[in-house]
Amino acid sequence: MSSQPRVLQILNVVSALLLAIAAWMSLSYAPTERVMGAVQRVFYFHVATAWVGMLGFIVAAVAGVLYLVKADLKWDKVGLAAVEISLVFFFIAVVLGSIWARPIWGTWWTWEPRLTTAAILEMVYLAYLLLREGIEDPERRARFGAVYTLLGGISVPVTFVSIRLFRTIHPVVVMGGNPNAQGGFNMETSMLQAMLFSIFAFSVIFATLFWHRLRLGALAEKVEQLKLKALQ
Amino acid sequence: MDAERSSPYLKAVWAVTWKDLTAELRSRELLSAMLVFALLVILIFNFALEMDKSARENVTAGVLWTTFAFAGTLGLNRSMAVEKDRGCLDGLLLAPVDRSAIYFGKVLSNLAFMILVELIVLPVYAVLYTSPSSRLLFTPAFLGVVLLGSVGYVAVGTLLASMAVQTRTRDVLLPILLFPVAVPVLVASVEASRAILQALPWGEVLPWLNVLLVYDVIFIALAFMVFDSIVEE
Amino acid sequence: MEPTPDTLNYMLAGYAIFSITFFGYLVNLYLRWQRLRQDEKDLQEQIAAQK
Repeated sequence: MSSQPRVLQILNVVSALLLAIAAWMSLSYAPTERVMGAVQRVFYFHVATAWVGMLGFIVAAVAGVLYLVKADLKWDKVGLAAVEISLVFFFIAVVLGSIWARPIWGTWWTWEPRLTTAAILEMVYLAYLLLREGIEDPERRARFGAVYTLLGGISVPVTFVSIRLFRTIHPVVVMGGNPNAQGGFNMETSMLQAMLFSIFAFSVIFATLFWHRLRLGALAEKVEQLKLKALQ
Repeated sequence: MDAERSSPYLKAVWAVTWKDLTAELRSRELLSAMLVFALLVILIFNFALEMDKSARENVTAGVLWTTFAFAGTLGLNRSMAVEKDRGCLDGLLLAPVDRSAIYFGKVLSNLAFMILVELIVLPVYAVLYTSPSSRLLFTPAFLGVVLLGSVGYVAVGTLLASMAVQTRTRDVLLPILLFPVAVPVLVASVEASRAILQALPWGEVLPWLNVLLVYDVIFIALAFMVFDSIVEE
Repeated sequence: MEPTPDTLNYMLAGYAIFSITFFGYLVNLYLRWQRLRQDEKDLQEQIAAQK
């Protein structure tokens, strides 16, 4: 169980290539945006990683339900992998969003609906991981994890709607700019291409990482079983 | 109540609730802990926030719901911990009735405790921080929001507490699990409360009531479906 | 028209954080993999020795 399957090895190379091209498109191919300057270039990876994060979120929620229905531990591994990767990607998305906001709105953080919901989602993920930490029995750990993923999966969209409603009543006041603009800008064709390609690239990267993380999970399970055997 | 004819399910629910209520009536441990804690939180807010007359209008809803949320967590923790420690849960699980009856029983008793604490905190708050809107704290509208919000909070909280109490980290884990997932309840409750206290038109309150209702219904339904998976042995 | 603001430093900071987080995660995955492989080997030896 040590060497990677052929397909995975190919995916590794493809992912690396796609990442390089996406970086080139974001940093060089796309023109500099006139109003915001160079910092706008983080937008491409910001959108792409947020997209991947969303993907992970949906996979985790579905995996949770599937585990509760089928009680097959492989869905638990799928859910855990999805949460972990989504955690990393949403973190990147949020930080890039914050960096993008800073020179434009004069503030590192704005409590606008998407950013706030992303932050709360990260808290849900961390809570999920802490919940798992506190449980020894793999079967119970999987069950509880699945239940919490389900709860989070439903409450986070409701949270987003609530905060959006909240923001229409208490709009964010930002320095020197239209608070509702949310960093809007005119996208030229090459910018659109860079954005779409980044989304595509990160989707492939997500799939590759996901596969790796699943293998890691399988190995971890094997080690746990060996530990039990060794204790006998 | 005609014991012969009422469904065994409802009897089980009531049995669980009644057990908790009578136990608490005798010892009053849980309620006193929650009450003292709530009053302490309100006291701390006095120093943490500017709560002079002009600020009170803005801040009351937030202070009250923060207090309710923290006191509620305390109650939820203790309530489930008692089950686990005294092995009551195992006894209940042997009963030949759908497990969700235990869940609803616990929700009702947790809700009762939380509401009792809230009903005591409200007049105390009104006395400590009197303002023109104080009388609005006791209108049916405001109390309705308190009820709806508490129901949502306790519904999710009871489910999560049942999980948390079975982990190593126990008490510490419940707030961590609960708060991110209970955000819609807290936001909606605070906003609806604030709108009522500021005597805003009903159209401002209604959307938040909708959020609360939707949340309550969805999560009670979810808990009903999922509780069995949590208390399996 | 106003001149384009110089926000290069922010851009660099953004890409720096992306790189550190993303590649840091890859390294983390790799290290965890190595550690588990080592555990696997040790445990298998231990079990063989117990027989």
